[in-house]
Amino acid sequence: MLEQIERELVVDAPPEEVWDVVTSSGWLAAEVQFDLVPGGDASFTCEEWSKRGWVEEADAPTRLTFWWAGDGEPATRVELTLDPEGEGHTRLRLVEARVLDMLDVVGIPLAGRSTSSHGPAMLVAA
Amino acid sequence: MTTGGDADAVFGALADPTRRALLSRVAAGPTTATQLAGSLPISRQAVVKHLGALHHAGLLERERAGREVRYRVTPAPLSDAVSWIVEVGAQWDERLASLARGLAAGDPARVQR
Repeated sequence: MLEQIERELVVDAPPEEVWDVVTSSGWLAAEVQFDLVPGGDASFTCEEWSKRGWVEEADAPTRLTFWWAGDGEPATRVELTLDPEGEGHTRLRLVEARVLDMLDVVGIPLAGRSTSSHGPAMLVAA
Repeated sequence: MTTGGDADAVFGALADPTRRALLSRVAAGPTTATQLAGSLPISRQAVVKHLGALHHAGLLERERAGREVRYRVTPAPLSDAVSWIVEVGAQWDERLASLARGLAAGDPARVQR
């Protein structure tokens, strides 16, 4: 079974504006830090939880793919796609997937307690 | 799957955003259709229908409470996959709702979790 969450939403703002919001602090988590280049570090901090991760792909303002994981949790892959919709609107698509089994098959260590050092290795393996 | 419903019934039941919202609310504590309808913008009749689907999928149990039926989350733990989809899905629903609210208001700074 492919474990993934999919959502889609049209918002009343152009992709550039949506991109700014979804990559800034306050949306994914209260405190968000993104190094928006492939392999770049990412960290997400809220009162209730925190996660670390890395960027797989960042193509402003249309596509952001990153991995994140809480302490000791399996990493998941998040894909955000922003498409212009009509004038001044954006269709935002979101997919978060647990691809743990797939990664186990290819023998790649998973980000869990550790930091982002697995990022580029995962990229190469994919 | 530990819920008694088969996987298709479970995922079918969780495909609907209203049902996911209802399930998270019931997970917070046993409650009735009337109480749920009071806190959501849908009719009691619609709530009953959605609760029926969640019950059918084996996710909720019912018990008599006076003249009403009280719902609680099935005590057998939800499978890991289902609980991940429900919990993480609910977080995304909140984020998307806040995004829609914030951008509709025309001020990205107002988008808050």
